[in-house]
Amino acid sequence: MGLQKKIESDDFAILVEMEPPKGADVSSMVNNAQKVKGMVDAFVVPEMSNAVMRMSSLGGAMILESRGLETVMQLNCRDRNRLALQADLLAANGCGVSNVMVVKGEEPGFGDHHQARGVYDIDLVELLQVINGLQRGRDMAGIELNGAPQFLVGSTVEAGARDKSPELILEEINRLNQAGTRFFITPPLFDLAAIEAVWQRVDRETTKIIPTVLLLKSLGMARYIARNVSHTFIPDALIERIQSAPDKVRECLDIASETVGTLKQEGFSGVLLATIGWEDKLPEILKRI
Amino acid sequence: MIVADKKPIEEIIEELGTHEKILILGCNECVTVCEAGGKKEVGILASALRMYFLNQKRDVKIDEETLQRQCDHEYLEEIRDRVDRYDAIVSLACGVGVQFAAEKYFSTPVYPGVNTCFMGATEERGLWTERCQGCGQCILARTGGICPVSRCAKRVLNGPCGGSTDGKCEINKEIICAWQLIIERLKALDRLDDYEALSPLKDWSTDRAGGPRKVVREDVQP
Repeated sequence: MGLQKKIESDDFAILVEMEPPKGADVSSMVNNAQKVKGMVDAFVVPEMSNAVMRMSSLGGAMILESRGLETVMQLNCRDRNRLALQADLLAANGCGVSNVMVVKGEEPGFGDHHQARGVYDIDLVELLQVINGLQRGRDMAGIELNGAPQFLVGSTVEAGARDKSPELILEEINRLNQAGTRFFITPPLFDLAAIEAVWQRVDRETTKIIPTVLLLKSLGMARYIARNVSHTFIPDALIERIQSAPDKVRECLDIASETVGTLKQEGFSGVLLATIGWEDKLPEILKRI
Repeated sequence: MIVADKKPIEEIIEELGTHEKILILGCNECVTVCEAGGKKEVGILASALRMYFLNQKRDVKIDEETLQRQCDHEYLEEIRDRVDRYDAIVSLACGVGVQFAAEKYFSTPVYPGVNTCFMGATEERGLWTERCQGCGQCILARTGGICPVSRCAKRVLNGPCGGSTDGKCEINKEIICAWQLIIERLKALDRLDDYEALSPLKDWSTDRAGGPRKVVREDVQP
């Protein structure tokens, strides 16, 4: 079943983040993805997250699609103007990519090319409108397309973020919904309580929320996020659990699997598993769900 | 200077909506020189608005005032004792002045009366052209005093591009190719060796690309 059908039929969708390589060797990305083929509904291919230069999401998505692996191609407004964004959307759909996810994209100053000039010709909501227009068969100049692309469109929403008001999140969801967003990915979620205020008030018929489950790799990483990543909440109990575990990696894998299980039980539309470099651990996490 | 152009009066009327006590606030600096927002333009706009509201049979009070600058606290403070008499301000300063006024008088709506365009020079009366984009890292020393960032359509740093024909830019035959000007100037200065040197990669983090900028000068701070 494709991702679109899965989301429409309220089945629990399993998405996995698959970063393209920083280089031309795609073997690790392809091997890691193929190891979990059949256990995953689609691979989310980030668009140079944290503004770190690497293979494009379009390239990564095309490579995975060519191996029969469904993808969600991320798209941001940082690196391309309206011409290039539309061109890449057409290229993606022409190469079999049928899911896109628009993201804000970090400023170049966050990444490894901090002297780069960001583009930001259009913003995220405008980009959603552009996608709608392309799907209706017209480009931004109003010119008719020779074949309209069709996409399942997603975006991100800061639901569950520590410093965000639920009212503002709900308003943003409504705005993005009106602009054509069909599913919403949240930042990493470690405690259901963090998203409760939004989850209880959102219209679950029209708003498909897919939280991110981030695999913690160590006690240090958990502590670092808890102290320094302002919008992500990690409960003290979780940090204590990792601290007291004899096999900390095993414990972190268990935590990820358990969190996915909880999300499924609570009726969320799916999960995005992010393992940032530990994609080889994906089979272990997925088998335990 | 900062060059601005007048906004269409229809747009200003729409912005003003149902406000009944309006202060038109001019600025004696750049917008006076480019004849978009000085004392004279304040008077013209105020008269036009009065006539419009009279024709509409609306009783709207329009006052006029022009400050030395709107981008300095001390001058903007001059209207503090009477700002409460108005339910809106139309600032004819550049975007800096409009925002500074809005920050200072937080509960009074401040509307822009001009479109702020660029940093440029007066070529002749009624003609202003762009000269600087404030990229934060001036390269004029090696380009003969002519800026490719603000004057080349593609911001080419190793120009000219293939679109330069007979010294004119491909986007408009009336625009002189910035690189043509650079070459001519370097030739006149007997510095064509500078033209042959490749420009290093430009650091755009000092441009607007790095987010809103600020200049801190501890040596002049109180």
